Amino acid sequence: MQSVTSSRPQHTLIASKDKSTAHIVVENLSKKYGKNTIFEQINMVIEPGEVYALTGPNGAGKTTLIRCMTGLAFPDSGNVLISGKNVYLQGTAARAKLGAVVEAPAAFYRHLTGRQNLEAHALMASQAPNATRVAPDRIREVLSLLEIHRMSDRKVGEYSLGQRQRLGVAAAILADPDVLILDEPTSGLDPLGIGLIHRILSSMAAAGKSVILSTHHLREVAQYTDTVGILSGGRLVDQIDLRERQTAFKFRVDDPQRAAAALQTLPFVRRVYTRAEYAIAHLDSENDISSALSRLIEQNLRIYEVAPDLFDLYDYYRERVEQPFAL
Amino acid sequence: MFGLILLEFRKLLGYRSVRIAMTILFVLPWIWSLAPAVQQIYKLVLISMWQMPALALLTVMQFILPLLVGMTAAELLGAEVAAGTLSPMLLRPIERYKVLGAKYLVAMLYPFILLLVLMLSSLLAGARFGLEEFIGGTGFGEGGFIGSGVLGIGQALLEIFKAYFIAGITLAPIAALALLFSVVYLNTAAAALATIATLNIMRLLVVFPAINDWLLTTYLEAYVAAPENLLKALVILLLYAVGIVATGLFIFERKDL
Repeated sequence: MQSVTSSRPQHTLIASKDKSTAHIVVENLSKKYGKNTIFEQINMVIEPGEVYALTGPNGAGKTTLIRCMTGLAFPDSGNVLISGKNVYLQGTAARAKLGAVVEAPAAFYRHLTGRQNLEAHALMASQAPNATRVAPDRIREVLSLLEIHRMSDRKVGEYSLGQRQRLGVAAAILADPDVLILDEPTSGLDPLGIGLIHRILSSMAAAGKSVILSTHHLREVAQYTDTVGILSGGRLVDQIDLRERQTAFKFRVDDPQRAAAALQTLPFVRRVYTRAEYAIAHLDSENDISSALSRLIEQNLRIYEVAPDLFDLYDYYRERVEQPFAL
Repeated sequence: MFGLILLEFRKLLGYRSVRIAMTILFVLPWIWSLAPAVQQIYKLVLISMWQMPALALLTVMQFILPLLVGMTAAELLGAEVAAGTLSPMLLRPIERYKVLGAKYLVAMLYPFILLLVLMLSSLLAGARFGLEEFIGGTGFGEGGFIGSGVLGIGQALLEIFKAYFIAGITLAPIAALALLFSVVYLNTAAAALATIATLNIMRLLVVFPAINDWLLTTYLEAYVAAPENLLKALVILLLYAVGIVATGLFIFERKDL
């Protein structure tokens, strides 16, 4: 198992992001039911094009946090901004930029067909000030995109769990939102459906949309997620920048400590630490490996192996949840 | 907003409780028209179709209609919470007061739909007694069923429409009350039960004459009220409706869902 020697502190991660251009800013959000604290002091900044996965054990407060972020529930303190609009004070303007599924599986009127349900969503989406009407072509487009077009004229009561989930994502992206918030979007889906949802979310992020999803499927989402937030015991115990992890390399050498010291002096090395017989270095780019190797050779270090330091999110998560307050 | 109201009507007509209510209200007048003991209970001998709507209303206004109206009005919100369809609606860029306002409007119009079914069914069920002018009364006008001489068709129709319309106005605050309880409890059964309990408690409170004039249940028979008392009844019913709707909107605005 990979041991955690250090992690980038959350406040550094948040501080490094520009709140003025962020699609979602969560500031000091706290929520209690009676004397029971659900979560406290949650801070998040999610930039355009970022995929943020929120995870944590059952009962950690993920669903309540998502409900507070979307304005369905109200916090005891703190604020949430969606595209600069306060969800609690400028709800209509904020939700005009939002597409969300907060039920798993997604809930629809069972006596209406899939298409009629989307028409109802289109009607409601057009209630925003200055909103343009969602065209029937767009409804056809999202039905096709989610591969449920052929059953769109059946009543939702006849849909399987997975088909309802696909319809949920179709409804969420219907009005082409800037921000997508999805609670367990792949719940009840078969492997093909899971792959489809992941492709859609990735392509939306590539188009500059922000995606927040709560999930337990860490290894699945690690393939395209930029940031992972771990919520445990009502606190966001860690926010991991997976983009940074993608340029980490491990060097197996005869003297890891000396290798780490040598690598530390290089301008393109952002972080360096040791783990067993390895020196781990976070580089600016993959192209810097040859320069790093040159530096180690200059220091007369014996190099046995160089490889990407693949980050196992699941192992990391397990370790963080088992010791949630060790920051 | 008009689209939202239409959507709410569409949902309303899909509820099982609505179909049950309509069936009950369609069937009941036929039962009364054929019931052999109706004369003994209400001291009434039916001689005209135009008397049937009053008999039908008289038998359901105190308990059955408030129950049916309360159940469905509570379901307008409670069923959506149970099915999880309220959240997706509130995630859209619509103010909460518009969502609930549309439900209030539909809930308060619903009694008029039920009363229309009851009225049409009672006229059909009473048709065998004759539909020409008759000597007697509709049960809504001066002299009750005995009347004050010959009653023409136009006058009979007018009395029936007026009485049913006033009955609808009387039931509208009950629908609003059920929806208010639904906002509070986010549950159909709890809201319907609270509504019926409230009405029953109000009925018991008649033992306090000082507050009798302010009880909603005092006006359940406003449709036969004397003209001089009708205005007061309508004003109090309006106050109830406004107060209940405003309270519901206020609570819903910051309700956790």
